[in-house]
Amino acid sequence: MEKTDELVTLRESAAVVPVPSRPPVRRARRWPLGAAALLLAGATGVLLLGGTRWLDQPAVGAWRTVCLAITVQALPFLVLGTVLSGAINAFVPAGLFTRVLPKRAALAVPVAGVAGAVLPGCECASVPVADSLIRRGVTPAAAFAFLLSAPAVNPVVLTATAVAFPGNPAMIAARLLASLGTAAVMGWLWLWRGDEKWLRPALRHRHTGHAHGHSRRQEFLLAFQHDFLQAGGFLVLGAMAAATFDVAVPRAVLDAFSGTPWLAVLFLAGLAVLLAVCSEADAFVAASLTGFSPTARLAFMVVGPMVDLKLIALQAGTFGRAFAWRFCTATTVVAVAASALIGGALL
Amino acid sequence: MRRVAPSLLLKLTGIGLLHITLFDDTYLRYVKAGLRPVLIASGVVLLLLGIAAAFSRAGREGHAHDGHDHSGTPSAAWLLLLPALSLLLFAPPALGAYTAARSGAKPVAVQKKGFDPLPATSPLPLTLTDFTKRVQQDRSRAILGRSVRLTGFVTPDAAGDGWYLTRIIFTCCAADSQTVKVHVHGSESPPADTWLAVTGTWHPAGTLGTRSAPAALDVQRVTPIARPVNAFTDDLPITPG
Repeated sequence: MEKTDELVTLRESAAVVPVPSRPPVRRARRWPLGAAALLLAGATGVLLLGGTRWLDQPAVGAWRTVCLAITVQALPFLVLGTVLSGAINAFVPAGLFTRVLPKRAALAVPVAGVAGAVLPGCECASVPVADSLIRRGVTPAAAFAFLLSAPAVNPVVLTATAVAFPGNPAMIAARLLASLGTAAVMGWLWLWRGDEKWLRPALRHRHTGHAHGHSRRQEFLLAFQHDFLQAGGFLVLGAMAAATFDVAVPRAVLDAFSGTPWLAVLFLAGLAVLLAVCSEADAFVAASLTGFSPTARLAFMVVGPMVDLKLIALQAGTFGRAFAWRFCTATTVVAVAASALIGGALL
Repeated sequence: MRRVAPSLLLKLTGIGLLHITLFDDTYLRYVKAGLRPVLIASGVVLLLLGIAAAFSRAGREGHAHDGHDHSGTPSAAWLLLLPALSLLLFAPPALGAYTAARSGAKPVAVQKKGFDPLPATSPLPLTLTDFTKRVQQDRSRAILGRSVRLTGFVTPDAAGDGWYLTRIIFTCCAADSQTVKVHVHGSESPPADTWLAVTGTWHPAGTLGTRSAPAALDVQRVTPIARPVNAFTDDLPITPG
């Protein structure tokens, strides 16, 4: 039954494809054909192969188990995060954030970075929020500090980190400090060297708070639904990539990288960019990389929420390509440096 | 019609979570027992919000042109269908010999506070971790000559010399599992993944109480058991029934 519904829905969503008039945030919508094909292939594959021996191969079984385990472990955190961010979105007055920030940009940067800590959410949610902060008059430097810190240092993510690294409070402190440090440095770097030219010039007026014409309850439901589905989809993608890595890459290859401290830090930072695990789940992936030094795993958790493949795509869509590649490159360098410094001091 | 999809995805994911936590112990294949209440709560929230989304839909047809449109289904969201259907229809198997054979042995923590005298029970039930600690760290050599009873599943030795009694231990979930192995001497290897209780004595080699002593067992008796409920913890097994 569900199968039929889903086919119909897919065809309809495919029919809505040519709406490229507002590409930025809707970027994801440009690929519904690809998504439809992927889903059809996946669903058919699962249904057809369900009864065959192929799924019982130990490697395939282990892949499915690991993939599902990451998803199941992360889902409660994702639900909590998106429910809270949806509630804040719908019930917190829109002007609040601009009022509480200091007027001086250099001061607003660290304040916005710390403010990111109290807003639970993962990185997919923080991009549109930062975008709307800029549109409401928050200085871009502060909005970017918020963008970087919010997915990394909020209570949900820190709780997940504590659960993933039991009895290791130094890891949580190191993650908090390295992430806040990177966010603040990137904000100041923008004040010093940044150029508004890089930002997408066409500023559309958008609402992320309570919008006219919707009840707050509806606004909450829509925000939750959108954020959860988007982040959930990327979570599954990340879980698949991580499971593939887990099952396919022999431990010997990992050990080759884990042996040299500097190489290990760079390798896991690169891995964080490629795997694109949601920040609410990445601590669990980091905990599973047992062969690596704590500093390298810290780099994985600091870089991951700030730069990864899906974020680069989201930022390019929201702020423009010229901005995205500069910002992501700089952020990676700063985040790796911060992890190395703070990891070296604390871990 | 297109707007049915988001609420359907929410509901399916919620039902999937409830399916593996409410009625049996399937969730223990993937995560630790402590996560159960949170998983159930998440399942309920997703189901309720999915239903609420389906109902609130009717009131807002025609608002899709609003500046910030939250109502569309992001294309990535369709990927959620895979775990949802997987949870509902084909829950993947528990990890076993395949994973154990490929992972290195878990480094056993150093016991700092010294060892208590071993209880007099014979055969003495021990976890694989405790047995390894007694063999490699207990200077009093209390384990020497004692008959112990260990439980785990079978992982064949790639070198063909005997087999390993194995436990996979979740740090957090199946993605970060670690493996404890004890080499078993003196019996033909049973089929991989068979759960066994093995009674035997320490297989003498190296110096007992130091790292040179292998975690290995000379087998006296092998009894098949059901897979314990707590298969992926570092505890004595709780067997069903």
